[in-house]
Amino acid sequence: MEIILEEISRGHKLISRHKLDKDSVLIGRNYQNDIILSDPHICPAHLKLHFNGEHWLVEDQQTINGSFLEDGKTALDNHIVNSGDIFSLGKSLIRIVFVNHPVEETVRFSTFESLINFMRNPVVLALSILLFAFVSGYIFYLNKPTEASFSQFLAPAIGMSLMFAIWPAGVALMSHLTKHEARVMTQLGISFAFFNLLWMSDIIENVIKFNFSSNWPLSNIYALVPIALAFCLFWLNSYIGFHMTSRRRIMVAAGITLLFFGGGHLIQLSNKPEFSTRPHYDATIMTPSFRFLPSSDVDKFILDSESLFVKAQKEAAKKKGK
Amino acid sequence: MKGFITLLLVCASSFISNISFAVEQAEEIFKQLAPSLYQIRLIDKASGEKSSIGSGFQISSDGLIATNYHVISGYARHPEKYRIEYLDNEGNKNELILQSVDVINDLALVKRETLADMSFFKLANQVPTKGQELFSLGNPHDLGMIVVPGTYNGLKKESFNDKIHFTGSVNSGMSGGPVVNQDAEVVGINVATSGNQIGFLVPHDKLVYLYKAFKESPPESIEQQMSEQLSKNQKKLITTLLNSSWKSKLLENAIIPTIDVPFIRCWGDSNADKTDALYFAAVASCSLDENTYLSSNFFTGSIEMEFRYMQAKELSANKFYHLYEQQIQRAGPGNKAGKEDVSEYQCHHDTVTTSNQALNSKSIFCTRAYKKFPQLFDVLYLSASIDKDKEALISHFTISGIEQSTALAFTRKFMESVSWK
Repeated sequence: MEIILEEISRGHKLISRHKLDKDSVLIGRNYQNDIILSDPHICPAHLKLHFNGEHWLVEDQQTINGSFLEDGKTALDNHIVNSGDIFSLGKSLIRIVFVNHPVEETVRFSTFESLINFMRNPVVLALSILLFAFVSGYIFYLNKPTEASFSQFLAPAIGMSLMFAIWPAGVALMSHLTKHEARVMTQLGISFAFFNLLWMSDIIENVIKFNFSSNWPLSNIYALVPIALAFCLFWLNSYIGFHMTSRRRIMVAAGITLLFFGGGHLIQLSNKPEFSTRPHYDATIMTPSFRFLPSSDVDKFILDSESLFVKAQKEAAKKKGK
Repeated sequence: MKGFITLLLVCASSFISNISFAVEQAEEIFKQLAPSLYQIRLIDKASGEKSSIGSGFQISSDGLIATNYHVISGYARHPEKYRIEYLDNEGNKNELILQSVDVINDLALVKRETLADMSFFKLANQVPTKGQELFSLGNPHDLGMIVVPGTYNGLKKESFNDKIHFTGSVNSGMSGGPVVNQDAEVVGINVATSGNQIGFLVPHDKLVYLYKAFKESPPESIEQQMSEQLSKNQKKLITTLLNSSWKSKLLENAIIPTIDVPFIRCWGDSNADKTDALYFAAVASCSLDENTYLSSNFFTGSIEMEFRYMQAKELSANKFYHLYEQQIQRAGPGNKAGKEDVSEYQCHHDTVTTSNQALNSKSIFCTRAYKKFPQLFDVLYLSASIDKDKEALISHFTISGIEQSTALAFTRKFMESVSWK
């Protein structure tokens, strides 16, 4: 009778798999066994499985540490094996399945597969890191109040790129440690592509803030764009690095997004003073070439400003009531 | 400049500085007037100790005493926390009742109990002549009543609300004390000092006006009275400004307004001496030289305007705008005010073209409302030109304690007065 024995880790990752066509299988530490385990807590002759024509039965060979089901309580001696049972021997786990054990459905290639493959391409990857480094350097240049040479921006550009490479590298390391394929290049490619998208969304946000007045209600909604981008990045990171159900993947990506943005928001909230004597306004300005909407006239501006007085009065009255 | 003029208020912990010595004549005057002179103390009810002191003088036989508003402002704003007390020249103490205030001119009337008619200070009928010798009375730094001789130097030119320029040492704690002529008639009230023998007095006619108004009809509530005074003064000020001639002035390639009134004074600066600067910048700022004291952390009645011209040297437009943007990030209020006094600012921003198409700018308007005076607001306007690649003009003003209609009228006129050459 055919039987499959899988040596698995405590996280249920497969270590080795054996398919035997026998009616009796011996498991233990010495070399006479069919399945030879090196775990020192296992006896030289530990367990015997034999097929009685109808069932597989387990026979513990008077071992020192015993044999149990995975729950650690049910002793295995004289146990009738079901397909999928996990045995705990010493500190090792053995999973037993029969040939007719059902397998999970085939996972389709995601539609992102082609994007992922494109971003992994060494040339594309190099270009996207270069773009990222260039933007970092340019921002550093813009922020520097004094004149500076090209080489002065090189260090921060490289520094920023290396710093941001920590994220994909970390994800790759995690997947390697959890016995998945590391896929460093793919993680790098996808991450930097999204970092660049985040730069771009920053620029678009500025252009919007610059062009629209505070009457435009969508300015605040735009704040969701970087959050959505980050969610996509985390989803792809987990898609590339780990096997999990799609529901779980969405939960993980959403969780990390929440941790990043929610955490940041919490820190901001806790730093915010209860009352601010300074006005909070949007001071985004860009060069004339970024303007694409016509300006209001003075009348319109005065009319719009008029409504602020009532708002301020309401707020003054509200705070007094508390 | 504002910083130099300090109110003559002494808080419980103050330092001892030089004291002027009275001349013989001054001593004579002092002896005669001493019974009508008081130290006014603001007593913190909880601790029972004085939290600030000033001077005051009796102006009627039935116990009405004049002092500075800022001496008793703590009580006017928080009557539950303080009480007002006087200390006379014989060391008697008793409670005072606040009757009326003039926040604009920093005056207050308080009343003591009297058993019989008492002697009091006579208010002068006429203004002193320039150079005339005057005597300032008061209790500097809690050191006891003294008399300081000095001279009358006319009214302060740059003042919207009249102030007498008195050459003589007026020290902290003398606030609210009278200044008399040789006939012992009150011609002014000590209010502020600029240090080094420059003192400022409230002219006596303001007190005469307040006293008369009080006799006719005492105010129903001090808060209401303050609110009306603030509104009236601010309206008068802004109307004066709007009706004065607004002259155009060049700030490099920009045209900015200057208002031709003596009480708005302008200052300027530039970075022309800094050769390594990435852009050239010139600043002109104008402001009203006075403000209205409401409490130690709430001032109002101020106006300031600021214009900043910037021109990129060898700089890309993007970087120039980036540095330019940093210049308009942190505009703040022009007056001190706290959570109990005002709401938070509400702001509006838009890009605006002036009606003569001469300037396209990003404009920001913010306002906050006063909690105790519902018709009054602080406003802040900030505008940054966005029509030239390598030149920029920031125009900015703040006005505190203003009503909505006047604020908007001023904003409109201001916006239309700024343009490129």
